[in-house]
Amino acid sequence: MSTVTAKGGGRKSKAARIAKTFSLRLGFYFLLCALSFIFLYPFITMIVKSLMTDDDLYNITVKWLPSQATWSNYDIAFRRMRFKAYVWNNVIVCGVATLGHILSCSLTGYAFARYRFRLKNFLFALVILMMIVPVQVIIFPLYKQYSDWGWLNTKNILSFLPLVVPTFFGMGLNGGFFIFLFRQFFMGLPYEMEEAARVDGCGPIRTYARIMLPMAQAPLLVCSVLSLVWHWNDYFEPGVYITAPAYRMLPSVLPNLYALLNQENHTMIQVNELEGIVFNEAMLMAATFLCILPILIAYLILQRRFMEGVERSGLTGM
Amino acid sequence: MSVQGKALARKPRKKMGIDRKRSLEAYIFLIPWLIGICVFFAYPIFTSIRLSFSKITSFKGLITEWVGLTNYEYIFFYDINFVPTFLQVVLDTLLNTPLCIVFSLVIAILINRKMVGRGFFRTAFFIPVLLGSGYIMKQLLGMGADGTTITTGIMVPRLIADLLGVSITEVVQGFLDRITVVLWKSGVQIVLFLAGLQGISGSLYEAAKVDGATEWEMFWKITLPMITPIILMNIVYTIVAFFTDGTNPMVDYIYKMNFTNQMYESAAAMSWIYFIFALVLCGAAILLMRRHVYDSGSKN
Repeated sequence: MSTVTAKGGGRKSKAARIAKTFSLRLGFYFLLCALSFIFLYPFITMIVKSLMTDDDLYNITVKWLPSQATWSNYDIAFRRMRFKAYVWNNVIVCGVATLGHILSCSLTGYAFARYRFRLKNFLFALVILMMIVPVQVIIFPLYKQYSDWGWLNTKNILSFLPLVVPTFFGMGLNGGFFIFLFRQFFMGLPYEMEEAARVDGCGPIRTYARIMLPMAQAPLLVCSVLSLVWHWNDYFEPGVYITAPAYRMLPSVLPNLYALLNQENHTMIQVNELEGIVFNEAMLMAATFLCILPILIAYLILQRRFMEGVERSGLTGM
Repeated sequence: MSVQGKALARKPRKKMGIDRKRSLEAYIFLIPWLIGICVFFAYPIFTSIRLSFSKITSFKGLITEWVGLTNYEYIFFYDINFVPTFLQVVLDTLLNTPLCIVFSLVIAILINRKMVGRGFFRTAFFIPVLLGSGYIMKQLLGMGADGTTITTGIMVPRLIADLLGVSITEVVQGFLDRITVVLWKSGVQIVLFLAGLQGISGSLYEAAKVDGATEWEMFWKITLPMITPIILMNIVYTIVAFFTDGTNPMVDYIYKMNFTNQMYESAAAMSWIYFIFALVLCGAAILLMRRHVYDSGSKN
């Protein structure tokens, strides 16, 4: 078919082809931009609103661009949510929990990938079950258990124990998923390395720590990023276990701020500590943005390597 | 025993010894996880099952009394909120999961091409995960418990709305809202699909191109079959994510039953009904997909 038309008017069809690819390309970018707009929509709204003044918020003609950007919202939000105090709680919990996940899940995943042992299939079924059972199903027994152990209401740094300790045993937030991730990766590695190490008299634990783990950079990175992000954003478990105000996590401060705003139907609320300042939606958005800012920065730095990590971790090679 | 006999017996016995030794090593690696699964998973699950069939008589030491199916009877026949909420969640999951899979696959294929601004698009599609699982998303999505909306989804433009009329606009708006919500929750799925697409050997596409296949044909004959394992994985992931999500009304309700109403037994019964449904759904997905999943022949 193409040969016939090509003979008739070669130049014209070439131009048409270029026009066709060009328009296809244009459509392609248009589609992508439209889709990414939907994805970025909540994010953009959040940033734009956080810069608005009180007048802008109630002016319906101001939808996207604030008439003048005010940074004072951030200042107020920063103080109102006691960002400096709470952010350290988040950093401590997320850091330790991520460390726990890296250590325990890589160990478990390695055992499942490289060894044959009795009850292996049964135990692996348990890993899958771990992924499927939502924590909400067992939250009350867990709560009771921690309360019996005296881990709740400690009013000191030990308040973080219920959030942190399970991660060192391969449990915790999405622990099953991380075990699965490491298993998939280790399954894809060649056996020769371990055999060589064994022949040279290297013990199993040293083989794991010195040879296998250093090769597992890709899943280690993916596990760290996801564990960090998920722990950072989680408000369900911290909300249940942590009652002392000083040991709250950042995301669990937000519901209080939202409640504060909703109390009087988006009208004036006098905030005691910041006398005379009205807490409005813009400040709320600023607080929300501050909440994810550290994790956003961390992600932007690690973004490229994270993507490569996902591609290399063999997660998708079921 | 004679020397000969020993020599004969050595080989199998030694092999068993190695097997046992290796098995022991495996269990050494598994110790932390085994402790964890008993203490933080199996025991709470056991308690939860027990609770759902009994009545707490004393909180100290959690002494309970067997009452059979009373709690289940209660949630189905007396609790006015459970059944509607549950059905809503079931419907949402059944509608959202396929939408999520289709959209994330399309987006992954789009951003897998070589193009300008690839890094930007990849970051953009991952942003909802960062905002993601938490309270922030819940509020931004306008699904706050008290129904306050900070941000509504993409609106149908006024001009088009006028042309279509009220009833059609409502349907379109409902669909758009659903898609927006689904898209915001498909960050991880997109990343997984992307990784899967990277894993498909380029030589397959080259061979197809030489044989004169169009891109459309290549999608149906190469990309889709090769990516089936990830589709299955994503289906399971999506179902689980929707079920455990904080924005899910059922999760909210179970939480309220536990910590506000303090009806722990009914909450446990609810959790089990809820969980069993998730399990059935995942099982059905796995069974349905099983015969279509491409097996690369690698042995597990």
